[in-house]
Amino acid sequence: MLVVASIVVFGGVRAIPGNPAIALGAENRDPAVIAAVKAKYLLDKPLPVQYGHWIWLAVQGDLGVDQRQLSVGHTIASRLPISLELAALSMIVSVIVGIPTGVITAVRRGKPSDYAATGVALIGLSVPHFWLGLMAIIWFAVDLHWLPAGGYVTAHHPIANLKHLLLPAVVLGIGFAAVLMRQMRSSMLDSLGTDYVRTARAKGLSEWSVVCKHAFRNSLITVTTVLGLQLGALISGIVTIEVIFGIPGFGSLTIDAINQRDYTLIQGVVLVVACGYVIVNLLVDVVYSLLNPRIRTI
Amino acid sequence: MNRNRIAAAVSAAVGAGLLALLISATAGASGKQAVKFKAGGTLTVAMTNGEPDALDPTLARTFSGREVFLTICEKLYDLDAHTNIVPQLAAALPKVSSNKLSVTIPLRHGIKFNDGTPFNSAAVVKTMTRYLTFKGSVRASELSAVTKVTAKGKYAVVFHLKAAYSPLTAQLADRSGMILSPKQMSKLGANFARDPICVGPYMYKNRVAGDSITVVKSPFYYAKSKAHFAKIVFKIYNDTTAAAQALKAGTVQALDAIASTDIPSIKADKALSITKAAGLGYGGITINIGNKNGLLKLPYQNVGTDLASSPKLRQAFEMAINRNTLNKVVFGGTVLPGCTPVSPSSVWFDKSIKCTGYNPNQAKSLVQQSGISNPTVNLMVPTGTVALREAQFIQAEEAVVGIKVNVQSTDFVTSLSKADAGTYDAFLIGWSGRVDPDGNIFGFVATTGTLNDSGYSKNIVDRFLSHARSASTTKARRHYYHAAVQQILNDRPLIYLDHPIASAGISKKVAGVTMYPDTLLRVAFAGYTQ
Amino acid sequence: MSIVVQEIEAPRVAGRRRLRLLTKRFLRRPMAVGGLLVALAFVIVAIFAPLLAPYSPGHTDFDAVLAHSSSKHLLGTDDLGRDVLSRLIWGTRASMQVGVFATLLAMVVAVPIGMIAGYYRGWVDQVIARLTDVLLAFPFLILAVGLAAILGPSLLNATLALGIGSIPGFIRIARGETLTLREEDYVPAAVLNGANDATIIFRHILPNMTNTLIVQATLTIPGAILGEAILSFLGVGVQPPTSSWGTMLQEAEPYLTQAQRLSVYPGVAIILAVLAFNVFGDGLRDVLDPRTTR
Repeated sequence: MLVVASIVVFGGVRAIPGNPAIALGAENRDPAVIAAVKAKYLLDKPLPVQYGHWIWLAVQGDLGVDQRQLSVGHTIASRLPISLELAALSMIVSVIVGIPTGVITAVRRGKPSDYAATGVALIGLSVPHFWLGLMAIIWFAVDLHWLPAGGYVTAHHPIANLKHLLLPAVVLGIGFAAVLMRQMRSSMLDSLGTDYVRTARAKGLSEWSVVCKHAFRNSLITVTTVLGLQLGALISGIVTIEVIFGIPGFGSLTIDAINQRDYTLIQGVVLVVACGYVIVNLLVDVVYSLLNPRIRTI
Repeated sequence: MNRNRIAAAVSAAVGAGLLALLISATAGASGKQAVKFKAGGTLTVAMTNGEPDALDPTLARTFSGREVFLTICEKLYDLDAHTNIVPQLAAALPKVSSNKLSVTIPLRHGIKFNDGTPFNSAAVVKTMTRYLTFKGSVRASELSAVTKVTAKGKYAVVFHLKAAYSPLTAQLADRSGMILSPKQMSKLGANFARDPICVGPYMYKNRVAGDSITVVKSPFYYAKSKAHFAKIVFKIYNDTTAAAQALKAGTVQALDAIASTDIPSIKADKALSITKAAGLGYGGITINIGNKNGLLKLPYQNVGTDLASSPKLRQAFEMAINRNTLNKVVFGGTVLPGCTPVSPSSVWFDKSIKCTGYNPNQAKSLVQQSGISNPTVNLMVPTGTVALREAQFIQAEEAVVGIKVNVQSTDFVTSLSKADAGTYDAFLIGWSGRVDPDGNIFGFVATTGTLNDSGYSKNIVDRFLSHARSASTTKARRHYYHAAVQQILNDRPLIYLDHPIASAGISKKVAGVTMYPDTLLRVAFAGYTQ
Repeated sequence: MSIVVQEIEAPRVAGRRRLRLLTKRFLRRPMAVGGLLVALAFVIVAIFAPLLAPYSPGHTDFDAVLAHSSSKHLLGTDDLGRDVLSRLIWGTRASMQVGVFATLLAMVVAVPIGMIAGYYRGWVDQVIARLTDVLLAFPFLILAVGLAAILGPSLLNATLALGIGSIPGFIRIARGETLTLREEDYVPAAVLNGANDATIIFRHILPNMTNTLIVQATLTIPGAILGEAILSFLGVGVQPPTSSWGTMLQEAEPYLTQAQRLSVYPGVAIILAVLAFNVFGDGLRDVLDPRTTR
């Protein structure tokens, strides 16, 4: 599958009109310069030769050199953690918000608080996160000066680092919190209705201990399911949020690489995303079957 | 969010050097004597003209890259505030032999590279050899007149030329004149960009791709006392609004190009000052007249679109645009309206040329006279909010006179490819500008010009331009450029609309930041005030 | 013979009777009905945009740039002096167009593929599953940005990109449903009756999965509307001067501090439309799909 993906990426990148020699040339598009650039990046060679060259080095762990003359592998290694940190923080936000509300609404099904929370969750699902991001910048950064408007500080300064990532993580996390809450609510409703729970109650176990026990188990399954289902959405969300908040992560790297026609960089980035996707999906499947042997994924 | 992509990819090399006026430079420049600098501190500069490419002068093309090089790689020659060429690593201006084929440049003594190795003629020769022979070297075409460079003793070099080439000094005042450490060249070879070492007040520390470049004060610099910061961080912002907010919040202390929409709020901020410089470039519309088979696929033949086939329609097209309203609505008053390839900030600016003024009524009747019913123009625009705003402005103005404009928003790189291929009608694109008018004119309208996307070919213009290149007196050159520009304005392969003014925002805690008409932000000799 | 025929007809007869029942059940959900009404309102605005908009979306007034709301311009004007209300109304058209057509495109392409995979199983299924995985491995945004770069940014290409991005979801659903439905009694019955594969797939299996597909479509449309907004905002979707909610947001972004309202209006329109479709889709699923009891 990764071989197919690598060919798709390689072909796709070259299908983008506007060659990198021109992207690099800009005001310097004299034929001699263009030819020199093409020669430097092997663009004058036939496609299979270019592909072979790239994949041969990639297999050995060398993703090549980008237009900045920096190692693609090194660039990815320095940018990926930033996106992973953002992803992790936003997942934490969404778990903190989504799981308890899911449990509470399930327990209080049909009560006003259930309607209110489900209503808010629906709105949460419908708000474009990039718009929410823009509004958050205006309110919390420009008007109130509570948090920085964007940018990134490395984890060497943990407090500044968190301050910079808080707004983006919350904005991104809210949408996922809504998904988590809905999923959690329905799985809690399912399990609270089972014979097992009725038996437990009959045995005289307190309501809360039953709920808590189920909540824990269900929350693990829910988070795994949602992560599996929403991984693509999460990655897309990270890209837009990084662009809006000016975070130098993997997402903004991808967009810049496409705009600059930086072939080696685009190839490296997309290949890493594809690999990551496969790995996470595999992990989700494994965790899923461990948690719930009854369910087999379609 | 490709705002400023044009500027981003634009690399403004300085052409043959002559005077240009600096419209205004505020901030620290004027009060140099009074300012007392505090040593140390970190300056963070927001760069909004795109990310620098390779930090190897052999390969570098971007505008932003030059801003970084100003702090870490000095050149044989430099420009002063009035774009005069002055010696930097050279000891004096070059001496040209009587047959004009060899140019001798004396070098300064006692200078060290930022790895402690000595700067001398051997280093210059090794650098120039790299520029001339390195695979993929961008400098090779700038130095195409040079056959070889030899050492003349330890502190002088001789450039041997194929033919007389007066712009050489100007080239050596830009990236072609940066001298690299021979030790580092041998060590890193093709990977010089990973740790570039030259002579400079600061030295390269590290780079986070897409995010920032950090340089630190050099212990080896010959005028150490002039460099005040301990560290300068160049931080890349793709979004000008975010950069402006960072400046206001104090996250960055300087912003190299403020978007017009952010100027009011920065002006209102008492902790900030704005430095302006009218650039040497222009904004305009390139019209495809004869680029039927692609750039330099001669002979150019008329492409037969409405605009290409009717000079009257082109005239109407120009008359429909109100340059002053364009400046107000689209650019928030941040450009100088103009109609020629040369900016009023240049001494080469020709006041005697008359513009085609705004005249919608005459434009209407010209459309009638053109005999084309429902004329349509496909206007290609590189994506990006400002360019799109401008295109939509033009669309509205043309609609008034009966010309239908289809705005074709096209990714920047694709738009350049299409322009070179000739698969467009009209292209909204500017030029960053050169010191010598030749750099703003020849490439675009001469039949053999390497940027002649219009496919314009006119004998008389070719003749004027080549005379202007070989003429020895300024007066004669002016005369030829005047004639050429008159003819271009009449034929309209390009319609010039404006000359951008660059604005940089600087924290008032910092002094000594300047901007010349090359619109690069110069921070190397700035510092925090006491 | 007649018994067999009756058995084949059975699901559809029941379907007709069910429809009345379902309508009744749907009408008992005020949220869902509200969602449907708002969604319909947006569709009507989209269809009749030229009649409803007070100005043409490209009508500029350079003397009234960034104007506040007034009787002349109910929601004020934008950076080129265009009427914001008119652009919102025309934007509804572009956004709905992308939402609906992207979903239709995904259905038309994905449903047959998914059904073939589910019906034939075996290696056909395997190949389709792997290809779906490859498609899924490119997150929709990166796919869409890439496609926009290849094809050039436009309304049509944004629709294509979002449609392609929604294909894997539909394939999985169609495949899953087919796997279940082909085990139903009427399939072997139809085979006995001499029906060929195509007849079974399209006359017997497809009608029985329409419910599920309608629900999935109702929930895909809001996703595509959001997708359009993101793509256009990033500059790779609908292009100005065409007005869409995403392009309006993109054009408004530099004026965030000066004229925040320009970003607020299209944002609210997006939320309302997406919310309406989501609520309607949720309600529809609850009514149509007996397996989910929420």
